[in-house]
This record gives sequence, structure tokens and C-alpha cells, in this order.
Amino acid sequence: MNKLIDLLLQKPLPDPLLHDLLFVAFVLHMLFVLFTLGTAMLAFYLFLETWHKGKLQESTWDKEVLRTFTIHKSLAVVLGVAPLLLIQVGLTVPFFTGVTLFAPYWMLIILLLIISFLLFDSLAHRINIRPYLHLFLGMIALVALLAVPAIFVLVLVTAESPDQWTNIVKNGYHLDSALTLHWLFRYLHVLGAALVAGGVFHFFFTAKGDPEKKTKMLHWIVAGILEQFVLGVLVFATLPKKPDYDIIIVMIVGVASAAFLLWSVFKALSKNISPKAKLIYPLVVLIVVPMLLTRQLIQDKSLLPLKKELESNAAVYEKSLSIYSQAALDNYKNDLNTVYDNGKTIFEKSCVFCHGENADGKGNEAVNLSIPPEAIASVRTTSETLRQILIKGVNGTAMPYFGYYEKGKLNRLIDFLNNRFDLLGKLPPVQFDISSADQEKANQIFSENCAACHGKDGRGTPEAKKFQPPPPDFTVYNLLPERAFEVISNGYPGTMMVSFANLPEGVRWGLVKIVNDKKR
Amino acid sequence: MEFPIFQVPYLGNGMTIALNAVLHIIIVQGITTGVITMIALAEYIGFKKSSEHWENFAKQLLKPTLIIITGVGSVTGVGIWFITSALSPRGIGLMLRIFFWPWFVEWLVFAVEVIVILLYYFTWEKWSGLKKKQHIYLGFGYSLLAIISAVLITGILGFMLTSDGWPWNRSFWSAFFNPSFIPQLFLRLGIAFGLGSVFTSAYLLFTRQDPMFRKEALRLFGKVALVFLLIGLLSTWWYFSVVPSRFKTHAVFSVLTSHFSQHPEFFWFLNIFGALILALFSFTALTRSVSISRLLVIPAILFYCCFITEYERVREFIRGPFLLPGYLYSNQVQLDESLFWKENGALKNSYWYSQAGNSADTTAQGAYLFAQNCSSCHTIDGLNDIKDRLRGRTEDGIYVILGNTHQMVPFMPPFSGTEAERRVLSTFLYRLTSGEIKLKAPSRFMFQKGKS
Repeated sequence: MNKLIDLLLQKPLPDPLLHDLLFVAFVLHMLFVLFTLGTAMLAFYLFLETWHKGKLQESTWDKEVLRTFTIHKSLAVVLGVAPLLLIQVGLTVPFFTGVTLFAPYWMLIILLLIISFLLFDSLAHRINIRPYLHLFLGMIALVALLAVPAIFVLVLVTAESPDQWTNIVKNGYHLDSALTLHWLFRYLHVLGAALVAGGVFHFFFTAKGDPEKKTKMLHWIVAGILEQFVLGVLVFATLPKKPDYDIIIVMIVGVASAAFLLWSVFKALSKNISPKAKLIYPLVVLIVVPMLLTRQLIQDKSLLPLKKELESNAAVYEKSLSIYSQAALDNYKNDLNTVYDNGKTIFEKSCVFCHGENADGKGNEAVNLSIPPEAIASVRTTSETLRQILIKGVNGTAMPYFGYYEKGKLNRLIDFLNNRFDLLGKLPPVQFDISSADQEKANQIFSENCAACHGKDGRGTPEAKKFQPPPPDFTVYNLLPERAFEVISNGYPGTMMVSFANLPEGVRWGLVKIVNDKKR
Repeated sequence: MEFPIFQVPYLGNGMTIALNAVLHIIIVQGITTGVITMIALAEYIGFKKSSEHWENFAKQLLKPTLIIITGVGSVTGVGIWFITSALSPRGIGLMLRIFFWPWFVEWLVFAVEVIVILLYYFTWEKWSGLKKKQHIYLGFGYSLLAIISAVLITGILGFMLTSDGWPWNRSFWSAFFNPSFIPQLFLRLGIAFGLGSVFTSAYLLFTRQDPMFRKEALRLFGKVALVFLLIGLLSTWWYFSVVPSRFKTHAVFSVLTSHFSQHPEFFWFLNIFGALILALFSFTALTRSVSISRLLVIPAILFYCCFITEYERVREFIRGPFLLPGYLYSNQVQLDESLFWKENGALKNSYWYSQAGNSADTTAQGAYLFAQNCSSCHTIDGLNDIKDRLRGRTEDGIYVILGNTHQMVPFMPPFSGTEAERRVLSTFLYRLTSGEIKLKAPSRFMFQKGKS
């Protein structure tokens, strides 16, 4: 199945309900997002203006505006939970794909929000701060805040353009130029909406009772709406797919309401009266809801068919997995019952697949290794040497480190190995009857040949210690005579240890005696 | 998998989630739940005793608290979700479907919480006199809401370690009321009020001058600190008694890591020392010795933060191979899917790999198999670098280890793919470790052209 699939767990609610809930939750969220953005932009503008006029001492309107920021941003964040939940449940694959394709930016949102929230909150509360510092901090806060909707729009534009996903993965972290333009206008359209929303809010709240401020807010609203008309046209012109008539009708409702709002504000301004709240509130709703509905419908057009396809792909995939589900659960139950707190379990799970049940080096995986696993039942060593091998592994072989078992567990493993295989036990003497001539010959061969790597003392020469794998230290690590004889006769495959089968049997036994006598 | 894979270079995914999450938990437990409750308590005492000291103390502490809660606390909370959406989309997507209703209710609770805390702050002056009582209710109401939030979130978090019967019965209730839910709730609340009282004591000790008030308040917060320290310790023990032994046995290692795993005494020494510092602080506060308390309060805060970090680390680590025990491995491969891929191939069943267009290139295959199987925990060149883990191993050694990760290392998921894919990945890893393949801290592993 190399098709895209939906998640295999069922959705908790039927799709239409998820869809409608998402729309409602999103409208609520957007309202406070727009207030938050609008308030921040307005406060920053008012600060610049009062500073420019040299009235920073008398006028604190910008601070009053900014003081509502705490409320807006807190509500915007919390109201964002529901739409995020609903879109992730309802449009799982498109949304998460948008997120993962722009993951670095998406995660940056957290940092941007923290910076702007903390800065704006402190700017709203600190009255006496130098204007330059205020300007500097305010700019950082504003840039950080305004970057957030840019990222959200980016993720949504991506989620809505499944045909672009592969390109985005290929090209790194950016959209193609047509979509970039669309993203830009859509983003600016959000900021424009925020200007209007902020203006409307502060017209009714912080400008209350002050005709001069109210007029200023009306100008602000007019400028915002005019700019929205321009941007709206640009957004529409750059839509990736041309919308159907039903979408256009909904959009016209919003545009007409905006035009009506513009007209009534103009009228109020020219007659120098204040427009009625009774008129403005419903008009704002009549703008915001159809506009967001337009957005929703455009999104639905591009994503609903994909969603159907994902779900049917998921059903096929689930069917192919179904024959494995019982086995998966049985394995899981086994896993839960396997507790790695004793030497036996650790040996069986972590060692046996190479070293074998009988520790003869003949585990299931041994055939895959060019250097055969050690026949550990034939090893006689010290607990410290064994511990070092377990903690560090053996370089140049498959033997990994087992330092992920803490000291107590390794102790239990060492105890287990010793109890079962006598790993720390005594080295039995060589049973073969070696003639003194053979022993003499063996001594000569050891110092002429073997000592080059193993060292005269059997610890391994410094050069040989760099081999992958290095030779063992015969003072602390030895093999049972039969096994040592075998290694000398056949060599150790995959290592520097070659076969000495050409030597007479007695000499080879002599060599065994030499190396095992090195044991301390 | 249905999502393109992304990894945070250098830091790795786990650490990225952890940095944000631990900060969130320290704030949300210590400040949102703890300090606000202490503020409400202080306001109540001020009202009962008609004491300006208590009243002002509560009021002045609220402002920085509010800024931190709404500016950092709630944002990092949503941040956990944001970050996991990017790094573990399948995991979080599945969790949202299982726990849709608690999540939805949490949205309502969270919204009411925000409204209540804003009201509490903005009505402090206005609701005085006869309305003071209502204002105090608002404060305690907030604490109650914070506890409800803790209940909702803990049910979900507990599931990630002790999914109990859910893999078999898929019942929401058995998922939510999982065995570690109640003990974990007590543990979290114990830490919340314990840390909250220590934070509040610090504010008291460093901002208040009046000796009488300081001693009186210190004694109260010392009492609270002691009681909740005991609750915290008891519920830690309770919590670990319900965690399946399979997971519990890695707890000490999860704290020590490979660096210190052969020195378990460090673990016990530091934990006991930390607990003693906390106990000592509570005791000195209780006995109203201001100067010693002042000396101990910062170490006490630090140890509380360390304990929170430690606990979250243990909880996240020991569930080891699983993200949702019994359903999903930590690399976001489903348990049944892993078996399916073993027989039918991982690459063949990966949409995003099929989009890569260079499907015959074994380096590209290896990189994608690494991304799919390993990259949720291992980075290249960063934390838990795969090259450090495999240095010194032979190519066939890596092949053998890959086939046995799940049983060899109790907290690793199995390799999910066919024998041929296992061979491709082991060759890739061997060449990567030996430096033949140069791949500098990648964030995506698709479209990796073979360079050799």
C-alpha cells in the first residue's frame, strides 16, 4: 500500500458534526486572534504617534489599548484548543502533513508567542520606560506576534494543496511561487482583518467617551476595510483553484456587508456622529462569518474528496493488517511478562541469539556473522574482565556494549553465567601428554610467532591492541584447553588469528599450555 | 507512515519535546496550580484576620503569576501539542481519537480557567467589602479548575505507560481509568502544592520585611510544604507499585543513562539528598527560622524542578519500545504493521518513500529506513547519535543487532521491515558510522541521494 491512508482508529464523531463544530470553534478562535493582532498593531501605532507628537508624558492611550492584550491573547490561545483538536481529528492527514512539511516554523510558533506575550505584557504594565527601549522591545514583540499568523496560514495553505506536498518535500521548506503569492496575500488579508477588528473593539472600549479617539478609530476602520478590498481581490485572484458559484455567493454576502459597514462609517464621519453599536456588531458578524465560511468552503472543495480517498485506502490497509493483529497482541503480552531484572532473562534475551542457549557460540544468528560469536561456555575469566567486555563491547566484532544494564543487572548476569557455565571458575590442566621436545618447540614458536601479537607476557602487544578485534589478555581471559586447541588449529575466522594446523599436535597442545599458564 | 518524517537536528525529537514539556509542567504544577492556591489562601486569611499584610501579599504576588501563567504556562502547554504534532503526528493523532472527549472537556475547562483567572485579577480592587467573599471563591474556584485539568490530562498520560486492557478491549473507560491514573494524580498534585508553597515562600522571604508577618506566613507555607512533600513521596511509591515490572526495571537506568549506569549509588544518593533538602526546608519554615529558610529555599526549588524533570524522564523513558503500549511502537509503527512489514516490506508500503523517485538507490533506502525505524530516538551527529551507538561494530554485526533490537535492548522497538531491508539498513548504518556516507545532521531523510 504505497497510498496515503487515514489513521486506523475510528473518529469519535461523525464527519459532518466534526466539520460544523470545527467551523464554529474556528470562528470563535479567529475573533480573539483578530482582537489580539489588532490590539498589538494599534497600540504600537499609537505609541509611535504620541511619541512623534512629543506627548508620551500626557497620553497613555496606547497603554490602555495594550492592557486589553492580556485578555485577548489568553482567550485566543484557549479558544484555539478546540479548532486544533477538531481539525486534527477531522482532517488528520492534510493538517498534520502541513505541519510536518513546515515543522521547524510550526514549532517556532511557541517561542514567538512566548516572546511577544511577555514583552507586550510588560510594555503594558511598565509606565516609565525610555521611548527608544519601548520602540525596540515593541518592535520585537510585534514582529514575533505577526509572524505567528504567517506560519498558521502557511500550514493551512499547505494542508489545502495536496498536489504540492511532494514538491515541498523535494524542494526543502518552501512553497512554489504561485502558492507563495497566494500565501502572502492571504496572510496580509488576516492582518487587514485584524486592523478592522482591533479598530472596532477599541472604538467601543478604550475610546469610549472621547470623540477625538472615536473619530480616529473610525478612520482606522475605514482604512482597514479599504485595504481589505484590495487584498481580497488579490487573494481571490491567486486562489489555486477557481471557486464555484456557491462559494462566490457566500463571499458576496461578506463583501456586501463590508461595503455597507464602510458606507455607514463614512456617513457617520461626514455627519460627525458616532455609528450605532446596534448596527456595527451584527455587521461585523455578517462580515466575519461569511468570510470564514468562504475559506471553509474552499478548503472543503480541495480536501473532502481526498478525505474520502484516504478513508477507503485506510480500510484496505486495515484489512491487510488484520491477519497480524492477534499475533501482535500475543507478542505484546509476552513482552509485558518478560522482566529484565534477572541474569537468566537477560542472558536468554540479550545473549542467546548469538552465543546460543548452551553458550557454545551457535545461536540462531551465528550463521550471519563472519567472526563467529565466542563459545562463552569455554571461557574462563575474571568478573572484572567480563564486566569490562559487557560495558564496552568488543571492537571489530558484533559484540555490542551492554552498559544500558545498570551495575546490579550486570552483576546478576555475571553471576548467572558463572553459575551455569562456570565462567569465573578454574582452568583445568591440559590432559594431553606433551613431550618435552614438543614443549620446547612450542616455546620457540610462541616467542617467534605468537608473541608478535600476543606479547611475551600474553597480554597483547600495544600494536596488536589496535586490531579489530584485539587479541585477548591471557592473564585474565582464557579458553578451556580443548577450545584453545581448536582455535590454534583452525584459527579464529574473521580475525588476525590464523590456523596453525601445520604444527604437530603435541606442539599445539604445548601452545595451549603456554597461554593458559599465563593466567594469574 | 502517512506523514513525511521530520527530525530536529542535533537536539533530537525527545529532547525537544522534553525541554518544552518540563518547563510547562514546572509552571503549570508549581505556579498555575500551586502558587494560585497559595494566593487564594493568603487572600482568605487576610480577609478572616482583616490583615493588610496578607491581602497585599496575595495581591502583589498575583501580577507576576498571571503574566507567567498566561504568557508561558498556557503557551508551553499548547506547545507540547504543537511540537508532538510535528515530531510524532501519528502518535498524537491516535491519542486525539482515543481521548477526544477528555480533550474536548479540557478545552471548556481551560477556557473557564482563563476567564476566571482574568476576572480574579481584574476584579481584585472592585470586588471588595461585601463582594470580597465572592472574590475569594473565584480564587479557590480557579484551583478547583486547575485540579480538574490535572485529572483530565493525567488520565491520558497514565495511559501512555499503563494502557492495561485497552489493546484488547479498546474501551475508552479502561484507557482513561488506567492503573497509574490515580497514583499519578496524587503525585502531580503533591508536587503542585508542594512546589507552590516553596515558590510562595521564596517570594515571601525575598520581598517581605515585616518580621511578625513573615514568620506567621512562613510557618503556614512550611506546613503546606511538609504535608504535600509527604503526599508526594507516598504517591511516588504508590505509583511505582502499579507500573508493570517490565517497564519499572529501567527506571534507574533512565535517570543515569549509559554515562553513569555503572554507578547506581549516584541515583540513590542524589534522590535521597534532594528529598532531605526539601524536608529540611519544610521543617525550618515550620519552625519559623527565616535565615536558614532563606538559605534553603532556592535549593528546594531547584530540587523540586529536578524531581519533576526526573519523574517525567522516567515516565517517558520506561514505556520504552511503546508510544501507546499494545498498539504503537515509539517509532510510530503499529505493532501489527511491524509484522506486516516484516513479510511484505516497509518501503513498498510507504507512501512518502514511493514519492522519492530514487527507490533503487540503496543509500536513499537506508536513509528512509533509518528515518522510519530509528529517528524518533536517534540522531545523526546529535544527541543519542546512532554513530556513537554503533561505533566498533562490524557490518554483519549491525545486521544481527538490527534483527534483535527488541529483545536485546528492552526499551527498543523491533526493526520493521524484510530481511532484505534489514540488510540495506545495516549497510547504510555501517557506512554512515565509518564515514563513507556523509550525512550532516539531516532533518528529513527522503530524497537522500547516494554518495559513495
